[in-house]
Amino acid sequence: MIPEASVVIIGGGIVGTSVAFNLAKLGVNNISVFEKSYISSGSTGRCGGGIRQQWTSRMNVRLAMRSVKLFRQFKRDVGMDIEYHQGGYLLLAYSDKEMEEFRNNVRMQREEGLDVELLTKEQILKKFPFMNLEEVKGGTWCPTDAHANPQIANIAYAMAIKRMGVDLNTHTSVVGIDIQNGEIVGVQTDKGYVKTNVVVNAAGGFSHEVGLMANVNIPTHSERHQILVTESVNHVLDPMVISFQNNYYVRQTKHGSFIMGQSDKNPAQGNDLGHTVEFLEEMAPKMIHDFPFMKHLHIVRQWSGAYNVSPDAQPIIDEAQNVSRYIFAVGFSGHGFMLAPAVGEAVAEMIVYGHSKTTDISNLGMSRFANKIEKEHNVV
Amino acid sequence: MRHYEAVVIGGGPAGMMGSITLGGKDVKTLLLDENDVLGGQLVKQTHKFFGDHAHYASVRGFEIAQKLQEEMAKDPNIKVETSATVIGVYPNNLIVYAKDGKEFKVTYKKLLIATGAMEKQLPFINSDLPGVYGAGAVQTLMNEYGVMPGKRFLIVGSGNIGLILAYQLIQAGAEVRGIVEALGKIGGYEVHAKKIKRLGVPILLNHTIVKAIGDESVSGAVIAKIDEHFKPIPGTEEEKVVDTICVSVGLTPLSELAEQAGCKIEYIPQLGGYVPIRNERMQTSNPDVFIAGDLSSIEEATTAMIEGKIAALEMAHNLKSTDVENEINDEIQTLSLFRSGPKSEKIRIGLEKFGINVKPVPEIERHGVQIGPQGKLRAIIDCTEEIPCNSCEAVCPFGAIHIGENLNSTPVVDYDKCNGCATCVIACPGLAIHMLKEDVENSTALVGIPYELLPLPEKGQKMWALDEDGNYICDAIVKKIAKYPNKTNIIYVEVPLEFSQKVLSVEFPKRESPFVCRCEEVTLDEIERVIDSGITDFEEIKRLTRVTMGPCGGKNCKLVVLGILSRKTGVPISKLSHGTSRPPVKPVEFSLFTKRDDSK
Repeated sequence: MIPEASVVIIGGGIVGTSVAFNLAKLGVNNISVFEKSYISSGSTGRCGGGIRQQWTSRMNVRLAMRSVKLFRQFKRDVGMDIEYHQGGYLLLAYSDKEMEEFRNNVRMQREEGLDVELLTKEQILKKFPFMNLEEVKGGTWCPTDAHANPQIANIAYAMAIKRMGVDLNTHTSVVGIDIQNGEIVGVQTDKGYVKTNVVVNAAGGFSHEVGLMANVNIPTHSERHQILVTESVNHVLDPMVISFQNNYYVRQTKHGSFIMGQSDKNPAQGNDLGHTVEFLEEMAPKMIHDFPFMKHLHIVRQWSGAYNVSPDAQPIIDEAQNVSRYIFAVGFSGHGFMLAPAVGEAVAEMIVYGHSKTTDISNLGMSRFANKIEKEHNVV
Repeated sequence: MRHYEAVVIGGGPAGMMGSITLGGKDVKTLLLDENDVLGGQLVKQTHKFFGDHAHYASVRGFEIAQKLQEEMAKDPNIKVETSATVIGVYPNNLIVYAKDGKEFKVTYKKLLIATGAMEKQLPFINSDLPGVYGAGAVQTLMNEYGVMPGKRFLIVGSGNIGLILAYQLIQAGAEVRGIVEALGKIGGYEVHAKKIKRLGVPILLNHTIVKAIGDESVSGAVIAKIDEHFKPIPGTEEEKVVDTICVSVGLTPLSELAEQAGCKIEYIPQLGGYVPIRNERMQTSNPDVFIAGDLSSIEEATTAMIEGKIAALEMAHNLKSTDVENEINDEIQTLSLFRSGPKSEKIRIGLEKFGINVKPVPEIERHGVQIGPQGKLRAIIDCTEEIPCNSCEAVCPFGAIHIGENLNSTPVVDYDKCNGCATCVIACPGLAIHMLKEDVENSTALVGIPYELLPLPEKGQKMWALDEDGNYICDAIVKKIAKYPNKTNIIYVEVPLEFSQKVLSVEFPKRESPFVCRCEEVTLDEIERVIDSGITDFEEIKRLTRVTMGPCGGKNCKLVVLGILSRKTGVPISKLSHGTSRPPVKPVEFSLFTKRDDSK
């Protein structure tokens, strides 16, 4: 732990470490990162690992497209193989209405330059003959969507920033932010005090609480999402498959196991990371229905993680109005891993140049909540 | 009864070359061989041969046999009988042979015997157990018939046959646990020995096999160090877990037919044992009978072919007064060149006993290994033993390699002319040439290694780089795989600059470390490597290695991992975080949750 830092980042998850990585790349020295547990202990290490560009909000599409570019060269840039697999994403539609929505999404996504297309039920069956597509009308397909191992990606960033001289402190909790006359002067942790004028809140599931430490009321809250993993079997499924109707996402990892999850009806609020048997009872019949070969597949482990949810299910990336140089990149609503490379780049640019340069993220600020909220719909 | 001007017994390299030469001189010739295909020992030799480029150097043994056969097939003067076992040579130039269960008789004016040799025996306890083979038998099974007689081998004897067999066994996917050699130095060529040493095969000098272990078949071998009288030294015994023992302690000429044909036989140990007395032109004490190949002296296929040719030329001269003087003198000169190196000393001594002296030849030039100009892609030749071979000089398109008139000289490279084409690398029968290019700026080096094993690695794959003794020295990243029609491929790997002069071999990373997590096959090495890289959180180790993430949920291995972590960090296990236990405690099928018991 260094006594004085040019930037303090709170949170050693994928967003915090990506911000640190990009700041160090821009030549910033004396960066401190505080992680209250181990690397990938929070939402990053608990997530499904999808990397999707098919969104209903333009901003999410742009950020995700930039992230895919960076994920593609992650191994070269960051220095570790993160099991990145560009196997595409298949989104399933079950009604004419959903097909119509998908059609509109595809039009907008193509305007943004994304390689995405509508598929008929027959086209889907041809690609994935092992699926049971009863009730399915069609879907959308983006071959450049991908998935990777989020835990290894987080650890890869952590190892890279350590090599680059970043002061990374795990098992260190921030307990207070020292503010004088609306300006940050330091950060108090349970292991000591560090002087700084710049703080980044990348606290994921704890973003609201870390906001309150600086008297910034960030409109995020956390809720529990459950997830499971199966034994590993031969590779059959390239893409991540999502059904909003049946409420699931599923992918097969490089290792061969299937990872899948859903949104619980009444999710536990806050940072409760327990598990329920109802989750297994709800997942099992729909997975067996849509993927009949899974009937005898063994479930190996279930766990859960927090979605840090914002009012419109899009990230909030901004600098506080009432506290100078208090920056936050929070509220990813379950999609922080896939956006992290682009967000880390943008936030680092905000800190160094005063505004993001590579991807314009100005409309992800708090001011958007003053107007009518346009919600991202493609969320499981 | 048929009659031929010339009969040749034995269709190995000497007999085939003899037949071709006789046919070429218009001599009606019959070739008899007991095997169903011609070629003798050549058909089971998958390695490239040393020698003069004009005499099939760099060509694999079985391919030499094919080429000779093709030539023979074109010549109507040559009649071939295979599966024909000569059972005796009788008075009045009569040969009797068995074929298809019938007796055949044939007479000759001139006879060329090229019956070759057989493997010597070595007495040791339990040597009658199934699993004890002659090295040649294993080659026949493996290379001719595609049958592997075992998985783990011990080879007794480090002559060229033992060394080549070890290499071929590794190519076939077997494990060679070692070669024991009774003498204090390796018997075969240094380049053959180096080839297998860098693949990790230990060659134990001053060692012998004491006994084979096993009930129904070989399950092990006891080896021991020996003293100067070749007696095992008590207390030095060591058990090797092997299922096959290959004996290759030398060859001895098959001189029975020559003896029956009236040739005088003498015991000349330097030539291999009982050999027929003969003159420089391969004529024995019976003027109608000639010999060639291993029957006359245990040597290489190349010298056997030259001897076959000399004998045949002289036979043609005897039969038809054909003028062969210049041809014979040329061949004798070539043979002298082959025999002028230090490895042929025994042969020279043996021949002197017959009054045959090797002709004076140009002096052998000796050179050490050259490193050449750093930073240039170039060939590094690790060939410092005087053996008769000049294929590198012959194939170099730029004239950058010099050996000179005596092909026992070691090569010298002119690095101004070497342009890094690697033609010499793929031609070298000893695999003693590799490519090197240092990149000082990036502190790396590109090393191109000749590779004759399968499967080939993939570009980008991580391999282990090995030194001359097959020890791991560093990781190597595969940059390029250059494939060649002669099946000697080159794998170009990138290694750290400081190892550029040590890397001589690559292998797939081995998993010889104990498994800590059997579900996910995570080894102790992998876990220690992660901890050594600075990651000391159990949860992070788990996420990077998958340890404890398999179907057992860590029940088997979690404590072992925590123990390793505790040992390496000094933190007691009680103070280490050990993760969270999650359902299901035992893996269950999805279908379980569709068959619920909802009764109250």
